Amino acid sequence: MTMPVRTAQYGFAERWLPRLVLAPSFVLTLVFLYGFIVWNGYLSFTTSRMLPNYEWAGLAQYITLFDNERWWVAVRNLVIFAVLFIGGAMGIGVVLAILLDQKIRFEGAIRTIYLYPMALSFIVTGTAWKWILNPGLGIEKLMHDWGFTQFTFDWLVNSEMSIYTVVLAGLWQSSGFVMALFLAGLRGVDDSIIKAAQIDGASLPRIYWKIVLPALRPVVFSTLMVLSHIAIKSFDLIMALTGGGPGYSSDLPATFMYSMAFTRGQMGVGAASAMMMLMAVAAIVVPYLYSELRKDGNG
Amino acid sequence: MGALAIKNVTKTFGDTQILKGINIDIESGEFLILVGPSGCGKSTLMNIIAGLESPTTGEVCIADRAVTNVAPKDRDIAMVFQSYALYPTMTVRQNIAFGLETRGIAKAEQNEIIARVAKMLQMDHLLERKPAALSGGQRQRVAMGRALARNPKLFLFDEPLSNLDAKLRVEMRVEIKQLHQRLKTTIVYVTHDQIEAMTLGDKIAVMKDGVIQQFGRPQDIYENPANLFVASFIGSPSMNFIPCHLIEHDGELGVSLQGMASPYFISLAGRPNLRARLGEKITLGIRPEQLDVAEAQSSALECKVKITEPTGPDTMVYTEVNGVEVIARVHPRLVPPTGQSIKLVLDMKKVVLFDPVTESRI
Repeated sequence: MTMPVRTAQYGFAERWLPRLVLAPSFVLTLVFLYGFIVWNGYLSFTTSRMLPNYEWAGLAQYITLFDNERWWVAVRNLVIFAVLFIGGAMGIGVVLAILLDQKIRFEGAIRTIYLYPMALSFIVTGTAWKWILNPGLGIEKLMHDWGFTQFTFDWLVNSEMSIYTVVLAGLWQSSGFVMALFLAGLRGVDDSIIKAAQIDGASLPRIYWKIVLPALRPVVFSTLMVLSHIAIKSFDLIMALTGGGPGYSSDLPATFMYSMAFTRGQMGVGAASAMMMLMAVAAIVVPYLYSELRKDGNG
Repeated sequence: MGALAIKNVTKTFGDTQILKGINIDIESGEFLILVGPSGCGKSTLMNIIAGLESPTTGEVCIADRAVTNVAPKDRDIAMVFQSYALYPTMTVRQNIAFGLETRGIAKAEQNEIIARVAKMLQMDHLLERKPAALSGGQRQRVAMGRALARNPKLFLFDEPLSNLDAKLRVEMRVEIKQLHQRLKTTIVYVTHDQIEAMTLGDKIAVMKDGVIQQFGRPQDIYENPANLFVASFIGSPSMNFIPCHLIEHDGELGVSLQGMASPYFISLAGRPNLRARLGEKITLGIRPEQLDVAEAQSSALECKVKITEPTGPDTMVYTEVNGVEVIARVHPRLVPPTGQSIKLVLDMKKVVLFDPVTESRI
């Protein structure tokens, strides 16, 4: 007679245990991610300055944002950075991966060396490159000490060029990661396909360009996704390397948002700029997710 | 004209010698099979012929031209791979056109060639599909089409049928043979399957441990194996190997076989080189179909039927002689029930003898 009771208990635990286990992270995500997105969205329509307030201001903060020259510098910098960083990291990563795929010796050691920068945080990368690029400490001083006194390399303190130092450090950090992704993809390509193409008379660059890389389309797409979101949310690298300077010449939207919201008492403008970044990310991610999910549904 | 000549080719990887002096010579239009168990070096030899690996020493000639140091693309060869090696992002048409394009053949001529090949292999309807949308057999066909399109001096097939299911394998085997007879091309074909080797080849090179154990026509190899390995590798079910002592009986050399009844003496009179081995161990090799059921009155080897395996046309009868399992392939009508005795006679003309120590033919 106890059997039905025990079954019921077991069924209760079985039904509720997974939900109980998932509940805390679900609640945390709901509140701290989506909740704060909504809150931030609301703040962007208020007159908030030093502290949040809830006085409705309509689109006033967005108008202020779009009139702000510093915002447009940040946006222009993001375009420069994103194009050069994503393109450069892909290019360097693919070339390194192809070179490493030629069954060379010490491949393991070389792979680790290239991948190692990824193990450092952007803060460390930024600080290291700040010293390397500092005219008084790094490359320029080294060349002067060696006697090349005409040599100048002052990108870090040149407001025209400072964004390119960020590109440089970003490439150094991420190219090895791209290489690792592509190397894994290349290893998945059947060896005999390359042999067949060799017998067909194709040169090595042609084999990779026409046959191997097209077969790696999924790797290209996931790498693009990873790199573009790194580019858009880039914050720590700028803070450590240039601090957004000289002046605000190397600001990115993320650093712009931070200084508006937390140091300059312009919380409404900061919130508005954060919403613009969210939309930029959504513009990339949503179509990607849509195509991926639709593919799963069909397959 | 010599289509392919391999002269003293060796290959060493580090300390291991994969190929130990290979010599092969075939004429134009011949179908050469390289057969052997995995690890025998047959694929390495194939890669050396293709130019994908270079030999440590030795020389390769294709169509009377030394090509040892010539790149694969300049050897005038085409290759079909076990995994088909189709270019995954290209359609069938582009797959075939790729090799023609790299050789700078004009677009119009390309289309002509593709149409001809597609017709020959009956794959017109597949031309616009991608490899992923093809079945295994269709992929195999496309891989062969890609090879045929180039019309090379030498075709290389690297275990092309291994990934197909049994029925398709038999069909493609016949198709490859028909293709060869129609086009009269020279083919080198690597396989580990002795049935493919027997059915397809004009010449077979049986390899083991980097050495060609025997090189010859399929029927010669089947009937006159050079050693114990070749005898056991070629033929299914395998040849029976019966351990015996060479004895003298009534002035004749021979061996004694012990079934379930009294020992049965078989004479080996007339075979050369045996006298010196009197009293020593020898291995007697006989194929299952060379054992037959005896006429009722004659003297024969009486053994016990342990298992019977009907295959349809014949039945395999498992018995025991001299303590080892022996299989006889007999007519189904003559098979006694399991557990009873069967009287067998040996086709003495076909019996082969081996030295059990050196494993070579006596």
